[in-house]
Amino acid sequence: MTRMTRKTMRSAAALLAITLAFAGCGDDDTVVSAPEAVTDGSTSTSSTPEPMFPVTVTADNGEVTIPTEPTAIVSLSPSITEMLYAVGAGDQVGAVDASSDFPADAPVTELSGFRPNVEAIGALAPDLVFLARDRDDVVATLEGVGITVVLLEAPESLEDVYRQIETVAAATGHLDAGAEVAAEVESGIAALLSDVPERDEPLTYFYELTDEYNTLTSQTFIGAVLALAGLDNIADGVDPGAGSYPQLTAEYVLDTNPDVVFVAHADGSAPSADELSARPGWAELTAIVDGRVVALDPDIASRWGPRIVDLFDDVVRATAGIG
Amino acid sequence: MPRRHPTRPPLRWLVLSLVGAGAAVVVSVSVGPIGVSPFDALRVVVDRLPGVALDHGLDPTRAAIITEVRLPRVLLASLVGSVLATAGGAYQATFRNSLADPFLLGAAAGAGLGVTVALTGAGSELGDSGTAVTAAAFVGAMVAVALTYGLGSSASERTGASLILAGVAVAALLSALQNLLLQRDDESIRDVYAWLLGRFNVAGWDEVRLLVPTAFVSLTVLVLASRRLDLLALGDDEAHSLGVDAGRLRLAVVSAATLATAAAVAVSGLIGFVGIVIPHAIRLRVGPSYRRILPLSLILGAPFLCLADLLARTLLSPAEIPIGVITAVVGAPFFLSLLRRSRVRPT
Amino acid sequence: MRPAIYATGVTVEVDGTRLVGPADLTVGVGHWVNIIGPNGAGKTTLLRAICGLQAASGRLEIAGRPLAQMTRRERSRHIGYVPQQPVMPAGMTVEQYVLLGRSPHVGTLGSEGPGDFAAVTATLQRLDLERLANRTLDTLSGGERQRANIARALAQEPRLLLLDEPTTALDIGHQQDVLELIDDQRRQLGLTVVSTMHDLTLAARYGDDVVLLAGGIAVADGPPIQVLTGPHLSTHYGAHVDVIEHAGSLVVVPIRQPAESSGASDA
Repeated sequence: MTRMTRKTMRSAAALLAITLAFAGCGDDDTVVSAPEAVTDGSTSTSSTPEPMFPVTVTADNGEVTIPTEPTAIVSLSPSITEMLYAVGAGDQVGAVDASSDFPADAPVTELSGFRPNVEAIGALAPDLVFLARDRDDVVATLEGVGITVVLLEAPESLEDVYRQIETVAAATGHLDAGAEVAAEVESGIAALLSDVPERDEPLTYFYELTDEYNTLTSQTFIGAVLALAGLDNIADGVDPGAGSYPQLTAEYVLDTNPDVVFVAHADGSAPSADELSARPGWAELTAIVDGRVVALDPDIASRWGPRIVDLFDDVVRATAGIG
Repeated sequence: MPRRHPTRPPLRWLVLSLVGAGAAVVVSVSVGPIGVSPFDALRVVVDRLPGVALDHGLDPTRAAIITEVRLPRVLLASLVGSVLATAGGAYQATFRNSLADPFLLGAAAGAGLGVTVALTGAGSELGDSGTAVTAAAFVGAMVAVALTYGLGSSASERTGASLILAGVAVAALLSALQNLLLQRDDESIRDVYAWLLGRFNVAGWDEVRLLVPTAFVSLTVLVLASRRLDLLALGDDEAHSLGVDAGRLRLAVVSAATLATAAAVAVSGLIGFVGIVIPHAIRLRVGPSYRRILPLSLILGAPFLCLADLLARTLLSPAEIPIGVITAVVGAPFFLSLLRRSRVRPT
Repeated sequence: MRPAIYATGVTVEVDGTRLVGPADLTVGVGHWVNIIGPNGAGKTTLLRAICGLQAASGRLEIAGRPLAQMTRRERSRHIGYVPQQPVMPAGMTVEQYVLLGRSPHVGTLGSEGPGDFAAVTATLQRLDLERLANRTLDTLSGGERQRANIARALAQEPRLLLLDEPTTALDIGHQQDVLELIDDQRRQLGLTVVSTMHDLTLAARYGDDVVLLAGGIAVADGPPIQVLTGPHLSTHYGAHVDVIEHAGSLVVVPIRQPAESSGASDA
């Protein structure tokens, strides 16, 4: 063996050794799973419980078949997390994303619904994953490695919400509970809506997302909800090219003089009434003068779980007194 | 008496570099939220090969994640690293500037504009966003460089300075357009920036398949051209007198380098510093001959980016650091050290 | 035998400006011709035209073949060109640099072979550069660098060697060394040499003929004694000189004007 070859082999061996040492540091995540859950959530009166599984549900990623009752559910959407717990599947949930803070005892992890990390999700060995966004082809990737995924994207109407609740319930083996929760939400909203007074002209509103006049139109879910409550969005039709989240100008807002201003900053900041009237020209706005500024809980306003009833409640009560 | 070729890379270096690249791949495939030993990783990969069945003891989901998610990602990062490093070296040779990078002629701005068009407003209505973005990035990069070449080439062009000027102008224009579009569509800013900073988390076998043919052709052309690129170092006149048509060589090299760069950018976003740092660092070690720099850049660009991606996905797991940030964190100190070296050496 | 260079009516025009021409030049095989002339006369341009680096009209034949019909490769095997200020990449060794000169003989996709290495070694030996073979170009002195430049051109094994101002930036000792070297190689290898020269005395001492280029036109052509005359030099250089004979060659001596004609008079 020439000197050169021996040197090469020694270097190669050293590199290999370093490789193995490094790789030895990889740690095994513990598999997260929930304790065995009681499967029977049905209120049927028959003597033998109907087999809940396998079940096929229709989701935004097509027809999904769940072979057996899931016990290691991962939810990457706060809204879906709320639905899961509302239909009684809480015990089956193994992990939820970082922003799923309701209910408080949900097993929060650092997973992100915005930037889903396939490997991190897979490391938890889930038997069912719920997602509200298909970013970066994550659904296809997860399905590609054999994980069952149910994609339920942001709804466009209340009917969508009820359907999602029922889908979540069916997928987790709580079919009847799902129907109940959906019915409750529906009747709750109907009751609130009946309290909405008849108005000659619908009230106009400005929905504020940031300090820079970013807003949403009634093409969004929240916008549709507010429309149901008899409110007109001043941002509708202003800038068709800008999509559902346009940016308005101060002049426009002041000019249209909305009856109500909803404040729901995504970053959670809530300017006080004084700060708002300090903005140039705002002191003259009807909404400011009459105290019609409604601060909405951004968590509720950006989600569409069963707590949508609370949103309706806030909105209806806040606008009830306005003629 | 066997002698060492004065300009070709010694076999020893090539072998060591290849071993290093291989080691980086093995390490990267083994490390992640699902940790496996390199042997298990290799067994899983071998089992995946058609016609082979090997017992690896991992449950199917984990094995699938290794072969369908992690492996293509590691391979893609390696390939993109190779491409960017070699293209960077080729650009440095073509423009006789050891600080040139593959985005010099506007490829980055063009790709960025393409992606922005695809992700904002009207563009987002067109088809599946993943494919549209990739295609838009590629087309944008190629169009930008073609525009630069068209504007900057003149018959009497000697040093490529006019090309560089045209590149600066084109990049500025396209960036301005990009910013205009972004201003109007607030929602997409996050998506576009994520793309701009580079990422491998969407890597799958599709992306690998997309890049391999282009990379193979381009890298072959560049390595084969390296002997003549060394002649360019003498200036266009002397190169001509030695039998090399500098203008045509430049066009061929820029085309090949840009093609591969555009494809790499299309699948992984804009990853800076690789194209400058790798060839430059290699030059500091092996001298100015591109017959050494280009092949070594090709091989060593792979483990560099592969390991950078490893850091990107493990340091803040499950969050991912944009890979452009990692390469910048490595690149900046490199340049600072270059600065210090140049100050210390007596003139 | 066909002349090494046969050029008539060679004209170079760039952007509507005529830089050279019409110029005539004939150089026999094995001869050394020095092209002299004032700054801006077009010496470098003419040299580059002969090399094929500059587009030119007119008749230009190299060893009997029209230059335009030669492929780039043929040209590079026949003509070696050393520009006035060659780029010498720092960090490149002398051996690597000279090896670049073998490029015309290496295939497009090929690599250098033993023949090429032998040629490089021979060239380095001939120019006394062997001990500097592994030194990097930036560590060489001016004279050594010029030798390396010439070595690079000689490694091409050309028949015709073109040098643009080969003695610029060299001290008088090195100037002599380089010119002796060129003459030596010319005799050994049977080269034809055409060089542009700044220093008229050296142009007279080295080489066979001198061509005086002024305004792009060859206004005088022939042995030094014919070309390097007081009237020629004063007409075209605007210089006041005396041309004297010394040790078998000509020496051009600058003369200063008497004091009165250069100062203001009192009257």
